Amino acid sequence: MAIVGVLSAIVLPVFLCAAIGLFWTRSGRDFDSDLVSTLVYKIAVPCLIIATFSKVRLDFSVISEIAVAAITIYLVTAMVAAIVLRLFRLSLPAYLPSMIFPLVGSMGLPVSLFAFGEKGLALALVYFTLGAVGTFTIGAAIASGRMSLGNLVREPALWAAVIAILMIWLDISLPKWIHDSTQLLGGMAFPLQLIALGCSLGRLEISSLGRGIGLGVFRLAIGFLIGWGVAEYFELEGIVRAIVILQSGMPVAVSNYLFAVIYKREPEEVASMVLISTGLSIVTLPILLLYLL
Amino acid sequence: MSIVVQIASIIAPLFVIAGIGYIWGRSGRPFDTTLVGMLTLNFGVPALIFSTLTNLDVSPAEFGEISGIFGIFLLANLMIGALFLRLFRLEIGAFLPALSFPNNGNMGLPLCLFAFGDVGLALGISVFVLMSTANVTIGFAFASGKWSLISMFKTPFLWIIAAALIFMGTETTPPRWVANTAEIIGGMSIPLMLVALGVSLSRLEVRDFKQSFWLGSVRLIIGFGLGVLLAEAFDLHGIARGVLILQCAMPTAVMNYLLAARFDREASGVAGVVVVSTFMSLATLPFLMLFVLQGQ
Repeated sequence: MAIVGVLSAIVLPVFLCAAIGLFWTRSGRDFDSDLVSTLVYKIAVPCLIIATFSKVRLDFSVISEIAVAAITIYLVTAMVAAIVLRLFRLSLPAYLPSMIFPLVGSMGLPVSLFAFGEKGLALALVYFTLGAVGTFTIGAAIASGRMSLGNLVREPALWAAVIAILMIWLDISLPKWIHDSTQLLGGMAFPLQLIALGCSLGRLEISSLGRGIGLGVFRLAIGFLIGWGVAEYFELEGIVRAIVILQSGMPVAVSNYLFAVIYKREPEEVASMVLISTGLSIVTLPILLLYLL
Repeated sequence: MSIVVQIASIIAPLFVIAGIGYIWGRSGRPFDTTLVGMLTLNFGVPALIFSTLTNLDVSPAEFGEISGIFGIFLLANLMIGALFLRLFRLEIGAFLPALSFPNNGNMGLPLCLFAFGDVGLALGISVFVLMSTANVTIGFAFASGKWSLISMFKTPFLWIIAAALIFMGTETTPPRWVANTAEIIGGMSIPLMLVALGVSLSRLEVRDFKQSFWLGSVRLIIGFGLGVLLAEAFDLHGIARGVLILQCAMPTAVMNYLLAARFDREASGVAGVVVVSTFMSLATLPFLMLFVLQGQ
């Protein structure tokens, strides 16, 4: 019974917060997604990165270990997914980003925090930042058909990551007031991200059930298998191994849907994948955690 | 650490976060205050109250003591405020809430947290629980002209506070999943409230500066004076004394403007008091902090 308590303490907060958002949109209330995503991605997440890395001092060796593993996972997943999608004659611009970029932010970060504490969160943030860079460059490039670095430079999360690296490198500790401010602002990240996630899910509809289930299961399965394989290959241990496999095993990220809408790449299909894989993760996430803990 | 640096590092986060909201409001970007208000009042604040009270940083006795004293403060403030308004022939229904209900949430809670840590936050919350209950009942009654207890029981607010008090009274800890959920949802309340405060300050207009200035001064002076008096009378020391005086001396709560606007009670006059008293309080905050920290 103890394990049920442990798992529910990690998983339930995430799904309950998302449920608030889901009921919010389903009850027909307005939800200004622009306002919330500006608060989250321009203010809260960058502050969370700075506050976390000023508290948790990771060695550069650990950071490079997880960064190399994360990049390898993204690349291997991209190759495997591209081959499989080609085999089934599915459009790469529409489906490939969803296969490569999982929900490492809204779901991956809080789960990492609750399961592995502050250190888990710091490691998960490294994985997340690389994913965000990838989404804004490669993800946007696949969906739009051209590469643009302009978006990336304007991304405050990247600036925060640069500050975090400088802090570790030069061994600077932040003045108390900056730490307190970023800590407090960073506290908005999880609840707002999860409520916004619930709201987006509440607006999406499943249009193609069969293909959605197929691709959703495929995403969760290759995520876990490639994460596990890469962790074995690099002989990762302890929290680093757990975070790598956990982040790799997340469902399809909602940001893929947003790109699909912007670039008109079959958004209905992507919506089905997002909804179904997130729904499935209610079952797969506890199992994954059971394996990792 | 010298006292100046200490005070600066307590106040700076407040200015930074409210400043973000102020710049946001000034830049003319849309900011849906209703959405943010609903998120904080219905989810964030109840969750913050729940997780703070069930963390057992304060005992039920301490909770009862400080909220009881704050209750006396509110009554005294309402009486003095009513006398004052009668003397100057101002409408009591419109201005009494603005003179009596301080900004214990947006401004009081972050100050209590930064000045006195988690115990300070817990005591600040104890006061805030009583204040917000009074604000939605008495304040609502004044502004609307009628008593309505039913509307209070429809909001999740009271139910969650009741649940927190049960856990607190029986000194049991809630299940981990409840505690974790309350903690993350509660985490958004203080920053969102502060950003929203900044946005409100940038949007509210001061039409009658003189009247706003006098009423704002009355709020700050009555609040500070009563806070110090009650802390002496009940022989409070340390963190409890600091939190009580801080919370009593906060400027007029933005909530007063929202209620005045909803029931059309001199909303522009109340808006002026909110803005002017808040800026006056920000200017005098270093001295207030000095008084509170040195008297420990």
